[in-house]
Amino acid sequence: MEPLQLDIMEISGAILLIATFGVIARRGFMDWLNAYRLQSIVLAGVTAVIGYVTGIWEIYVAAVLTLLIKSIAIPKVLTYVTRQLEMESKTETNPYLSLRASIIVSALLVALAYFFSQQLPFKSDPVVDIYLPVSMAQFFLGLLALVNRRTALSQVVGLLVIENGLFLFTLALTHGVSLIIEVGIFADILVGIVISSILLFRMSRTFDSLDVGNLENLRDD
Amino acid sequence: MLSISDIALGTVQVLVLMALSPLLTGIMRKTKARTQKRVGAGILQPYYDIEKLLRKDEVVSDQASWIFRVSPWVNFVAIVTAAFFIPVFLANSPFGLIGDLLLVVGLFSLARFFTMLAGLDVSSTFGGLGSSREMMISALLEPAVFLAIFVVAITYGGTSLSTIVESASNSAVLPHPQLIFAAIAMFVVMLGETGRLPFGNHETHLELTMVHEAMALEYSGKSLALMEWSQSIKQILLFALIANIFVPWGMASSASPYSIGIGMATFVIKVAALAVGVAFLESSVAKWRLFRLPDLVAIAIASSMIGLAFYYL
Repeated sequence: MEPLQLDIMEISGAILLIATFGVIARRGFMDWLNAYRLQSIVLAGVTAVIGYVTGIWEIYVAAVLTLLIKSIAIPKVLTYVTRQLEMESKTETNPYLSLRASIIVSALLVALAYFFSQQLPFKSDPVVDIYLPVSMAQFFLGLLALVNRRTALSQVVGLLVIENGLFLFTLALTHGVSLIIEVGIFADILVGIVISSILLFRMSRTFDSLDVGNLENLRDD
Repeated sequence: MLSISDIALGTVQVLVLMALSPLLTGIMRKTKARTQKRVGAGILQPYYDIEKLLRKDEVVSDQASWIFRVSPWVNFVAIVTAAFFIPVFLANSPFGLIGDLLLVVGLFSLARFFTMLAGLDVSSTFGGLGSSREMMISALLEPAVFLAIFVVAITYGGTSLSTIVESASNSAVLPHPQLIFAAIAMFVVMLGETGRLPFGNHETHLELTMVHEAMALEYSGKSLALMEWSQSIKQILLFALIANIFVPWGMASSASPYSIGIGMATFVIKVAALAVGVAFLESSVAKWRLFRLPDLVAIAIASSMIGLAFYYL
């Protein structure tokens, strides 16, 4: 493999990590959505780079699908949902960990992802070496966003970041599963987003808020 | 040993920095004014300001001790000394053997320490307020500075600025990825050290937004000129550091007139571009609440930590 390809892969992995950080380091819901959109665009670029390096044309199709579905369709749906909900405040007011603490924790999680991916006995291949830790870091950061926040809307974004991490994980390890499965996964995500937005509407109608803490109360009626 | 020509070149670099620094401030003010649809003062205005202040008499409070009188000089001398170690258009700074990046940071802290003392010395309420804010910000920035420096130092093998810039200008076109993270951290640190938005605002003298201005509020005449000028020099030093470490293209590697000319031109272009970028950023963000600033510094620290992870793992 040429050094230039390696350089491009490393740089794109770094940019993907920075884009993922946008989801952690911002406050408003629209900011997260924009960060997710940016991250998906970078992910599509990374997918195209993997396709170029491995020379498998199906990966290009996956890149185009990523660009279309994750950076255009899903943010559109979620923006529509936010507009319709008309919540009082669309910023996360009281996450469990403060913003600065969660930023530091997420830096540690990234280091942990690099450590873990060194311990795993996978075959040594530049694509795996570079993108596996990035995908694990994405997975961890999405998990952090998911457990750290109280509103259901922001948890959806955390889930999507986790999904991006898994997508990159499979792509780096298997160099693209067959296209049929890929398309099936994308369809699943779309359906999942639609279901979760219906859930969000129901939640906001029942409780007048999106705090998932409300779901834990038992009621008799 | 340093030869005469080395010493002359090093001195010329420092003189260039000192001469260009008010111009940089002027460019930033003009850019900000234009983005806010004001005409703004000409870009040479900081020179006129300094020249006018030098001709004016000085008023010193009778409560002030020697610290108040001495700190503009300490400030100026510390920052100009730091300027000797920073490569400007030559990749190999002639005085680079004497001091490294850590010494530069130390000299900045010395200047800042005396500014804070001077703010407290005259026991005006604004001065104390500015000093306490500055202390908080500098205590927060310190770990971020050092982590960012370590990322750069382990990448290029040493904290000596000449080593860093020389190996940076010799490395491949695509930099090492951990430097992107270090650059983010250094940029945040630069905003904080120069008191730019969202850390502080240079334009106003409102008690809510002043940091550096509050400490220098009691100064007048020549002392104020010194304080303002050393602040501009510090700003151009930080800009030059960022530009030459992370975008080291076009630096002169030998002392021939041709390569020095190229190095000079690229240096002016790089720093001016960075200044215009920072001015645009300043126009687009608001001053952050003081207690939200740790969030920004946390981003810088986390970014350097990830840079370290990138390098080692």
